[in-house]
Amino acid sequence: MSRLRGLHFEPLWWSLFSAGGVCFAVFVPAVALVFGVLVPLGVIEVSFVELVGWYQGIWGLIFTGAVLCLPAFHAAHRIRHGLHDLKLGGGSTSAFICYGVAAVFSFTALWAWFTF
Amino acid sequence: MNVQTRAIEVTRYSPERDKEPYLQRYDVPFDESTSILDALNYIKEHIDATLSYRWSCRMAICGSCGVMVNGIPKLGCKDFLRLYDHTPETPIRIEPLAHFSVERDLIVNMDEFLTHLEAVKPYIIGDNVDTASLPAEASLQSPAQLSRYQQFANCINCGLCYAACPQFGLNPEFVGPGAIALAHRYNLDSRDHGKTERMPLLNSKNGVWSCTFVGFCSDVCPKGVDPAAAVNQGKVDSAKSMLIQLFKGSQLQGEHQ
Repeated sequence: MSRLRGLHFEPLWWSLFSAGGVCFAVFVPAVALVFGVLVPLGVIEVSFVELVGWYQGIWGLIFTGAVLCLPAFHAAHRIRHGLHDLKLGGGSTSAFICYGVAAVFSFTALWAWFTF
Repeated sequence: MNVQTRAIEVTRYSPERDKEPYLQRYDVPFDESTSILDALNYIKEHIDATLSYRWSCRMAICGSCGVMVNGIPKLGCKDFLRLYDHTPETPIRIEPLAHFSVERDLIVNMDEFLTHLEAVKPYIIGDNVDTASLPAEASLQSPAQLSRYQQFANCINCGLCYAACPQFGLNPEFVGPGAIALAHRYNLDSRDHGKTERMPLLNSKNGVWSCTFVGFCSDVCPKGVDPAAAVNQGKVDSAKSMLIQLFKGSQLQGEHQ
């Protein structure tokens, strides 16, 4: 059991948080710009059929991971530590709720991609 | 000669006499060169000899005179009255370093930081070699090897980063910015072989993982050390160390060069 001695989950959550932070900084603003501003304003035109085609391929999986799943875990980590700083919860209950919501959200997004 | 004075409020507390700390006001003459420490020395010499505080070098080397000035951790000798508002109605408030227990007036119990510092073994751990018997060339370093850890070596153990760290305030068991910066400094040193001995503590929940990257520790450091960077580089090291332990059953090895 020595290989498990002293191990805890924080590095796992932090790794997801770090990866999600990069995604939040790089991909989420790009997606918001394209789909939230440029497409509605008609600056660029995207055909729905073409989008569906991309989503069904590997791009859909990359989109799901980089724009939905990892940012969800980033947000969950932020909220959990924010609660700790405000002396609210802080223990394993808030960890369970925060990462649980992120996990359910991520599985739903991945399930949507697999079954699309 | 026109002598300006500045109002200063200092926290007073004597455990035998006072139920709780209180603020006492003094008016201190000052000019362009009067530091917070000079003001405390003036009070001690000319107004109230019972005021207690630590100081020694007056040149930001010894790290003894850390206090809170208007709520921000500062070295008394490196902070100046001229930098604060010039109205007598708003006194400069000088308090003991936050997050430490107060022994008397501005004196805090630094053991609360020093026990963490000792625990990370902040010294070069050799390879069971008697370094005195080695030729001097054995410990030579290239400029690149030096630059890996040099900025972290500027720490003077003043404790300002602990007074700045909200996580240390919430959990005094947190190893804290200063000690982790020094652990990182020795982990990065090409002459050191002690990383395996330091990692178990850094890997623990009270090690690097208690940090939430507030970064105020680096803002207040009077020597320009960046403990927040050390802690967060430490998280990468710690994550690697724990992965290696999980798969190989052994701790991360020190980097031999």
